[in-house]
Amino acid sequence: MSTEVKEVLKQVGGPRSSELDAPLSSKRMLVNLGPSHPAMHGTARAVVELEGENIASCKLDIGFLHRGFEKSCESVTWTQVFPYTDRLNYVSSIMNNVGFALAVEKLCKLEVPERAQYLRTITSEIHRICDHLTLVGALGLELGAMTVFLYAIEGRDLLWDRLTELCGARLTSNYARIGGVSRDVPEGWIEKTETTLDRVVLLRDEIDGLLARNRIFYDRTRGVGTVSRADAIDLGFTGPCLRASGEAYDLRKAAPYLVYDRLDFDIPVGSNGDTYDRYLIRIEEMKQSDKMLRQCFRDMAPGELVVRDFRYVLPPKPEVYGTIEGVMAHFKLIMEGIQVPAGEVYGYTEAANGELGFYLVSDGSGRPYKIGLRAPGWPMLAALPIILHGALLSDLVPVFDSINMIGGEVEQ
Amino acid sequence: MKRFFGMSLTLALLVGFLVLLSAGFYWAAAGLGWGFNALSISFGWNPPGTVSTAAVSYGAAVGNLLTLMMVVLMISGSMLTVAERKWSALLQNRIGANRITVGGNPLGGIPYLLADALKMLTKEAAAPDVRNRLLFELAPVLAFAPVFCLFAIVPVGPAVDLGNFFGVAAAGKSVSLQVAQIDAGLLYLFAIASLSVYGTSLAGWASNNKLALLGGVRAASQMISYEVSMGVSLVGTMMAYRTLRLEEMVVAQGAPVLGGFPALGLLLQPIGFLIFFTSGFAETKRAPFDLPEGESEIVGYFIEYSGMKFGMMFLAEFLEIAVFAGVITAIFLGGWHPLVFEETLRQNLQPIWFAAVCGGAFLVKMILLMWLQLVIRWLLPRFRYDQVQKLCWKILLPASLVNVFVTGAAILIDPSLQLLAWIGLGTIIVIGVLVGASGRQAAATDGHAAHGAAHAGGH
Repeated sequence: MSTEVKEVLKQVGGPRSSELDAPLSSKRMLVNLGPSHPAMHGTARAVVELEGENIASCKLDIGFLHRGFEKSCESVTWTQVFPYTDRLNYVSSIMNNVGFALAVEKLCKLEVPERAQYLRTITSEIHRICDHLTLVGALGLELGAMTVFLYAIEGRDLLWDRLTELCGARLTSNYARIGGVSRDVPEGWIEKTETTLDRVVLLRDEIDGLLARNRIFYDRTRGVGTVSRADAIDLGFTGPCLRASGEAYDLRKAAPYLVYDRLDFDIPVGSNGDTYDRYLIRIEEMKQSDKMLRQCFRDMAPGELVVRDFRYVLPPKPEVYGTIEGVMAHFKLIMEGIQVPAGEVYGYTEAANGELGFYLVSDGSGRPYKIGLRAPGWPMLAALPIILHGALLSDLVPVFDSINMIGGEVEQ
Repeated sequence: MKRFFGMSLTLALLVGFLVLLSAGFYWAAAGLGWGFNALSISFGWNPPGTVSTAAVSYGAAVGNLLTLMMVVLMISGSMLTVAERKWSALLQNRIGANRITVGGNPLGGIPYLLADALKMLTKEAAAPDVRNRLLFELAPVLAFAPVFCLFAIVPVGPAVDLGNFFGVAAAGKSVSLQVAQIDAGLLYLFAIASLSVYGTSLAGWASNNKLALLGGVRAASQMISYEVSMGVSLVGTMMAYRTLRLEEMVVAQGAPVLGGFPALGLLLQPIGFLIFFTSGFAETKRAPFDLPEGESEIVGYFIEYSGMKFGMMFLAEFLEIAVFAGVITAIFLGGWHPLVFEETLRQNLQPIWFAAVCGGAFLVKMILLMWLQLVIRWLLPRFRYDQVQKLCWKILLPASLVNVFVTGAAILIDPSLQLLAWIGLGTIIVIGVLVGASGRQAAATDGHAAHGAAHAGGH
């Protein structure tokens, strides 16, 4: 190259080596995932801005399942709120029942009979297994391993069958009542449930065998969607997602309710806070729930199912037909609802996804004055755009799945 | 026990049916070869009483085109759509498709084949207005056609002298169950195999849909990843059998090594087999390599296609499974060699029937491989696209290059393939031990750190 050319190049600022390393300017692509999309549980929409396949930003648009839960509850009696709670986390509906019942009982200062407490624990833990099975199965499904999903669904439906025998509904099972539970277990139910649990254990181990040591699954989930312990606490995580990040916080241990203080179980804790840990936590919690259930079956003694206080619980039918007090109590409870003492309370339980909180305000009438819900999935869902920043589009699906957003509870 | 006998009987019947089928194919090929010869005589292109090689091979090719491509490939492709339902159902504790019954009998779900075809054909062919019309219509064809062309070089059965069919008059010319015997062989395979990605990419591009575009781009990125290792993985077999022609490779695999054991591609080239199987799996675009589809993320490159246009892409995938099974059978599993009682069969059967048994053996191996592919597809999760690229460029490509080097050295030292066979045997044992060991170890060591910590956590 002649010196003149070099001079000219110097003047016009010719090619520099660093320009080769400069990033190519590219256009961002806006992709809508949902509201109807195979991976969006329930109905949610993610507006994803892509740079190639990297997520530059992700906005979540929820509300497609909004039913006005909190407002609807204000116009019905306390008892009539229960069916609404079934539809919060519809995969584990009895847990919502129990959470709401415990909050109301806290306000009423009611002590529930021991057998009812055991039954509430049993149904809650069965539903915890259902919830975790659904999540683990869906995680497999969304990564393309459909067989895992069908194994999980088989286990879940067997458990749902048992709950159907208990309370008559498969999905929106409604079991807890203020002051106790609606009915006792049928004849031979416990043995049947133990058989079912044995089958679920087999299926769970099969699922774990297919996924946990699978190199592809490991690569797809390890280090993906990582949330550090400090971040998880700051973002308000609770439940398995928080524990996967390394914080051993579980309300069943931290603030025991029902009979959890009498049961022997461990709280699994992860170390990385990634999708893989969230998966492992779920598998481990299913094992712990199984253990708890068998303890409950062993320890449960016959006894009362509801408190004998007709201000809160319907009197038995012979008394309604035979005594004037019975008729009066029945009439008042049906027509006016339970007279919950005026005041406010925050009741919290450990649901399958985390802390399920009910904030109740009562003005002493038969209907709630105000109900506020702390949905466990909400903080995790809100954190999704932060977790996913810079991830690949393919990672959105497993991460979205592993936080287990349930439309019903997030969109109250 | 009763069930076991029933299943054995069914399998035996199936094998018998396949043997009869391939006998039929031979007669079709021979008949058409003979017929073409007669035609050519009647046109005066060759003198009466002679047999023209060109006429016979054209006739046989047309016969094979009709039997192998239309019958074997089409039927196995469409049966695979049913098999996918039924076999996945077996795997998942389900019953599978059984709602369509003929006289109260679901017939193993086979009527679904007709129902599906009818549904695809009569569906409204909805298409986006903003599509690129030419490419949009072209894409399904481009996905479908190359797969068919691939099957042309797959040798289903050995060559049989035409004299066995039509007496001494026709002796000296042979027919075999292979559409085209071309010198380029494997090169043709690579050339055509990489064409099918155009269908996918163009479908993604021409749909003018963001999700489809992502699918198309993923297909292209996947193709450049696996294509290289796929090509290099077969270089070892080319060197070992000293040919590019598939039919010659199959014949060469009958030669004994290691004291009478047939020199299967699987034995001589275990690494090549694994790499080719993996790359070929990527070629079929099915799980764990179904990134272009990725139904739970981007729904797929064919998101805008409906009716038979979608059907063709769908069917192309299944045809690819069948073709891929055929190619692997030919290169690595000894092709049409029955492997058991081969000499006894050869001595005691008429040449036609021996060839028919060989054809049956090929089809059985092909079905087994298709079954294997479906099982893998239903058990494994999907890769991420950068993981496919890493796998192909960082693991498969170096491994296949090393394989080429080792194979070349072994053949240079010992041209009788004995050394190569020993190396292959050693490799198979090492791989077996490694797989067994890692299967047991995983629980105790890495990957389950969280499990260990899980118990420590506690309160």
